[in-house]
Amino acid sequence: MAILEVENLRAKYSARGPEILKGISFEVEDNDFFAIIGPSGAGKSTLIRCINRLIEPTSGDIRLDGTDMLSLNPRALRRKRRHIGMIFQEFNLINRMSVMDNVLSGRLGYVGAIRSIFRVFTNRDIQRALELLERVGLQDHIDKRADQLSGGQRQRVGIARALMQEPNLLLLDEPTSALDPKISREVMELIRAMATELKVPVLCNIHDVELAREFCNKIIGLQDGYKMFDGPTETLDQSSLEEIYAMEVL
Amino acid sequence: MQDLATPLTLDDVIRLRRKKKGVQFGIFVVLIGLVLWSVQATVIDDTDWQRIGTLADIGESVAHFIGIDFALIPGLLGPTIETFMIACIGTLLGLVFCVPMIWFGALNVTPFKPVTYPIARVAMTLSRSIHEIVWALIFVSAVGLGAFAGILAIAARSLGFIAKMSAEAIENIDHKPVEAIRAMGGSNLQVMIYAILPQVLPVILGIVIFEWEINIRRSSVLGLVGAGGLGLVFFRQMNTFNYPGVTTVIIAILMLILIGEVVSHYSRKALI
Amino acid sequence: MTMPEKAKPDTLRGDNVHREWSRFKYPQSLINYGVLFGILLFFTYSVHYLNIPLERILGMFGRLGDVLANRYYPPDLDYIVDKAYFESVVETVQMAYLGTLFGLILAIFLGWFAAYNVSPSRKYIYPVARLVAMGCRSVHEMIWAILFVTILGFGLLPGVLALTMFSIGFAGKLFAEEVESIDMGEVEAIRAMGGTNLQVFVFGVFPQVRVAFTGIAIYTWDVAFRAATVVGFVGAGGMGWYLKRNIMQIETERTAAILLSIVGLVVISELISAWARSRVSRAK
Repeated sequence: MAILEVENLRAKYSARGPEILKGISFEVEDNDFFAIIGPSGAGKSTLIRCINRLIEPTSGDIRLDGTDMLSLNPRALRRKRRHIGMIFQEFNLINRMSVMDNVLSGRLGYVGAIRSIFRVFTNRDIQRALELLERVGLQDHIDKRADQLSGGQRQRVGIARALMQEPNLLLLDEPTSALDPKISREVMELIRAMATELKVPVLCNIHDVELAREFCNKIIGLQDGYKMFDGPTETLDQSSLEEIYAMEVL
Repeated sequence: MQDLATPLTLDDVIRLRRKKKGVQFGIFVVLIGLVLWSVQATVIDDTDWQRIGTLADIGESVAHFIGIDFALIPGLLGPTIETFMIACIGTLLGLVFCVPMIWFGALNVTPFKPVTYPIARVAMTLSRSIHEIVWALIFVSAVGLGAFAGILAIAARSLGFIAKMSAEAIENIDHKPVEAIRAMGGSNLQVMIYAILPQVLPVILGIVIFEWEINIRRSSVLGLVGAGGLGLVFFRQMNTFNYPGVTTVIIAILMLILIGEVVSHYSRKALI
Repeated sequence: MTMPEKAKPDTLRGDNVHREWSRFKYPQSLINYGVLFGILLFFTYSVHYLNIPLERILGMFGRLGDVLANRYYPPDLDYIVDKAYFESVVETVQMAYLGTLFGLILAIFLGWFAAYNVSPSRKYIYPVARLVAMGCRSVHEMIWAILFVTILGFGLLPGVLALTMFSIGFAGKLFAEEVESIDMGEVEAIRAMGGTNLQVFVFGVFPQVRVAFTGIAIYTWDVAFRAATVVGFVGAGGMGWYLKRNIMQIETERTAAILLSIVGLVVISELISAWARSRVSRAK
């Protein structure tokens, strides 16, 4: 069964601006590692951000777990966002806080105001955070400040934080664009391993087509806001790539 | 007019340079003229040259200040501590009172831009335009003589600077952590505590320590108008023409400022 | 419609496993809380020592409003549109202008001497220059004013000198910090060519810091002008003297008018400074 159904999605940045997404439709199944590829400016980032409504679409349908995302009021949206984990291109960590506190912050959607102020988390949360940190290989860096880590390490904190939410869907916004090739591969392997183990579907916006081919089972290609390709990775051939990337040289 | 497509000839370049140099020279002449006029009007006309006398007389006046009044020192401890405390509490009070001004004065968090932002800017400007002595006078007339008036004066004077710099810090935050906390379902309060405050608090603390150091200097003269601290001792020593005493008080002030500078240096290092 | 519960490994849910972790790190957390507690103690003691009536603070707003409304309002504007007052305003501006100008010129040299990287003599001149800057900065401009008035009598000259001393300290430190952050490559080039210390400064240092210095100069003017409006209080010339006279005579409405004129002038000065700053950054 499809965990995410997107139908005829349209989006703009500003009311009088150009339309960025021009009617995108696709489905993500709950064992997919789904890639969105395309040239710069095609709308990949916008599409990912529409799913959890960081950017508000102008029209269309987004159904996550059967819930109509676009009809949710702010409170309901917040509650739904708890179940969507997001990993960012530039990590988006709280730089001055420790790695542990950053990972624990993944539970903020579940924690009330008073406990947020005093940073009181349940023992279960703490154990889960410690376990996740060991799984991503950062057990020796738990109390370091996030800005003392390297790029690859920071992204691993991001992965642990997203998984702390016990999400039903993982959104990745170019998670490896800020990392060098070897580290990029390690990070993608880690994400794939943990997503498979925890049975979380992944929707990934990715720039590097080779990485998409290697790690993802389904791909859609965007160009200028239109969907140019939609299908299993095996069927992505040179001519489809040329269509998606049009004038770009690969 | 020069056609942009045609390159400048050498003659043109020389002409333009001459013109530029001419303008610069003109400005220079005007400035010198202003200076000379000012010097004439203020220093030369206004000064009572008779009273000053010769350079030797001036030297003699200055010599009066040389020396330390040791008898005064025990009595200095109280006022020195008082000056220090006025600076500390005054700075803290200024911070407390300027929280609403910081909120209103930051373009990205102000609640109702057309109204609250201007209020904040006006308050900041007022606070910084009025000299601390004037603030002290205002508060002495409101709450009477003593340290309380001094504390309020320091608070009123610092409010503007702290608010202005802190509002700027809030306007310059990195929005990426804000995006992350929102994406995971965080409420506005949680965004504030986890994304905004960790970025902004160290900066504000640095600003407060900076202003605190300056406030030590300011507190030392508030006593001149009755608002507590060493200023009063200074005033008394001047009035009784006890010039070595004056020097002693100045040394006490310098020591205080030195302490402030040392503490400030180490705390700001610890903050980074 | 909810999804059926996913089967996740127990440990990753936080069950069936126990590790040690505590937010409190010894000894760092102890030190941090200790310092915080110490500061709190100090403040409580200070409030007690100085007899600060904290409970009066809120009531004070009411009283302040009362005082302002009854005694300081309406401000006696006729008093300040007087020729003599206007002259004192002009004198204040001139005093500020001269004091800042002389102070800045001297401060440029002080900035050079007090900068560790280009100071002509690191062993002797540098520490002395640093000391001079610190000394000038630490003494409040009012104290400078009083001292100069004692030596030179009442008038504008003490005011000019007081502002000069202030500017030397204020701008000198900022100039020195600016010089210390330059690129030494250009300096080395001039030195390698055989330039004297002065040439090194004029051709290697100054071009790099010119723009920043202009900004600092404008900032110094801002602060010095504010001080100029009140040094007359202690006899050093300018509007401040009117302020003192009217306060002594408890002419509150006239005092209000004078204060308004001070605020107004400072605001105008700030507008001019802001304009000058934008010109400078455009010219960059």
